[in-house]
Amino acid sequence: MRPENYEARKHPPSNEFELNFGPNHPGIEGNYAFKVKLNGDEVLEAKADAGYLHRGFEKLMEGRLWIQNIALVPRICVPDPVPMEVCYSLAIEEIAGLEVPERAQWIRVMQLEMSRLAAHLFAFGGHAATCGMYTTMFWGVADRDLILDRFEELTGGRVYSIYNIPGGVRRDVPTGFLERLGSLLDYLESRLPDYDNLFFTNQIFIRRARDVGVMSQEQALKWGVTGPNLRATGLAFDVRRDDPYLVYDQIDFDIPTEPGGDCLSRNLVRRSELLQSIRILRQVIERLPSIKGPIRCPIPNPLAWNVPVGESYPRVESSKGELAYYVVSNGGDKPYRVHVRGPSSMHAVQVLEKLAVGSRLEDIAQIMFSLDACPPEVDR
Amino acid sequence: MVDWLHNWLFSTFDFFPEWVLVFTWTLWKIIAIVAPLMVAVAYFTYAERKLIGYMQDRVGPNRVGPKGWLQPIADAVKLMFKEIIIPSKSNKYLFLGAPLLSIGPALAAWAVMPFTDTLVLANIDASLLFVLALTSMGVYGIIIAGWASNSKYAFLGAMRSAAQIISYEIAMGFALVGVLMVAGSLNLREIVLAQAGGFWHWYWLPLFPLFVVYFISGVAETNRAPFDVAEGESEIVAGFHVEYSGMTFAVFFLAEYANMILIAALTTLLFLGGWQPLFDFAPFTIIPAFFWFAGKTACVAFLFLWFRATFPRYRYDQIMRLGWKILIPVTLVWIAVIGIVRFYTPFGFMG
Repeated sequence: MRPENYEARKHPPSNEFELNFGPNHPGIEGNYAFKVKLNGDEVLEAKADAGYLHRGFEKLMEGRLWIQNIALVPRICVPDPVPMEVCYSLAIEEIAGLEVPERAQWIRVMQLEMSRLAAHLFAFGGHAATCGMYTTMFWGVADRDLILDRFEELTGGRVYSIYNIPGGVRRDVPTGFLERLGSLLDYLESRLPDYDNLFFTNQIFIRRARDVGVMSQEQALKWGVTGPNLRATGLAFDVRRDDPYLVYDQIDFDIPTEPGGDCLSRNLVRRSELLQSIRILRQVIERLPSIKGPIRCPIPNPLAWNVPVGESYPRVESSKGELAYYVVSNGGDKPYRVHVRGPSSMHAVQVLEKLAVGSRLEDIAQIMFSLDACPPEVDR
Repeated sequence: MVDWLHNWLFSTFDFFPEWVLVFTWTLWKIIAIVAPLMVAVAYFTYAERKLIGYMQDRVGPNRVGPKGWLQPIADAVKLMFKEIIIPSKSNKYLFLGAPLLSIGPALAAWAVMPFTDTLVLANIDASLLFVLALTSMGVYGIIIAGWASNSKYAFLGAMRSAAQIISYEIAMGFALVGVLMVAGSLNLREIVLAQAGGFWHWYWLPLFPLFVVYFISGVAETNRAPFDVAEGESEIVAGFHVEYSGMTFAVFFLAEYANMILIAALTTLLFLGGWQPLFDFAPFTIIPAFFWFAGKTACVAFLFLWFRATFPRYRYDQIMRLGWKILIPVTLVWIAVIGIVRFYTPFGFMG
């Protein structure tokens, strides 16, 4: 039943063809798709096709109480949920002018770094899986699970802790928790040589990841790249140091950088950041017992809390890059508008589209995982 | 034992015409090889899942039967009952024929395999050529599967696999040329017999580069990690068999594992002395020859699994570069070396 004026479209002879990469694809994290135009194995054009995980978080938040959104925000990024809670709480505290007790701030730092460890283990494990080496992924998942055990002990939740509330944290640190965390850190540190042998110094992996998905520092800055991906281009920028929040200004840590800007550098940066996170956590374990005081400041009845008129834009360093919340309050018991500035929406859409061009089909998944892009956060 | 069975069959049922008996006898022999081979394949998949599981900090299958021993059987039953989905735009005959083309050669090559000095189905003169010819046939199954599926992913996988297998066959063939230059025979049994007398007489030592090249090519031939770009899971999903389901998929799966065992067995025969014991004296010679053969094959097959757990996948262009620019030159040089040593020095290689 074709219309009368139908004419079959004539295609000029060509070696190009289009391939739908995703949304249900083992090499892609979450549901995310690409339309790839290929010539043989070479990618001529990649078009990101997001939206399969769209859950409308920003709109949902406008319909819920300030405190209810705490349970919603960690869902935005599954592998690294804690920075979401902390950043959202920071935004409310800034608007409402709450003074967070020092002990709560240290506990938040501890949580953030534990989450970073877990997310990085997941990230390079996933990267290994895109190259067909599932062993690193399983090791990463197994070691991440030990961190989740500590999360469970601390917060009651393994993945989504829903532990931060505006003004502090919900519960104090359990007895003996810090010792157990310390032994976990020792264990993770002792595992790193194994990861090196298996993965980071594996010649096949290095050959596959070097000079793949290269971006220069200028490009990275132009495209809004942040976090480990930016540090992999040689620029030591870290929100924790350059715009300190919580108590990061009292903590000693280095900002690892790598010059290459390719998949390999991004992974090596993550590997070094594991060590830095362990170092930060050790300082927290050392300092936290001496910091006495409440774990949260008093807040009004959260179910009838009219946060004063105002707006704020706090930013934190999540494992994937700079994460920020733009929160506007019109004085009601619900946020007027929340905007999430997630790192992955830059990394997974515009950066990935550009880096994929000129690479090979095999490397698309690798580039995506090396950018540590998180599709649920892209769609929000 | 074999002779006794043969006599029993031909004397007890001599009222049948002779061709019936010959046919029955041949069928028996085929079953006697294929049935244990299928069991070996099934339990090789179990071994793979279990071993890789332990390497990956997990336990592998442990629910079906004691310690998961029945897992391969459960898998086989499950696959048998699954629907065979034929894509509507595919070529039905080619689509269903491809798995057969894949498994046929993988099983037929076992016909000339000498398990021990005497236990061989067909002791033909040029059995090495026969094996080479049949293993080259396997690529047709893959190409036709990829083509007939009418799917871009399958097509990409098939094209990659075709190019890869053909280039690695060259390196493999050259490696085998070295073996036959030293052994002076194309018959697998005689190649093994030429390696008699302890492990330092096996060909892996004098032909070490060829041994390595042959095994790497063998891994590439069977599309196994780190050369599994034909089915590269995170790239082209499952490659050439992405559209296959149920038994048709299972046949590809069987062919892949049968091929792995075949390559392991060939490596044993050509480079590791086949059924020859490790040392040629008392405690080692007591172990029956077949167990030496099976044990060595299992050790080589283990390497396939080990590779899979510890190596990332090569990129396709890197695979081609490795094949053409490293493996083939190495074999060529070593063949020249063998030739010179064999004809211009007084001792030759193995005397």
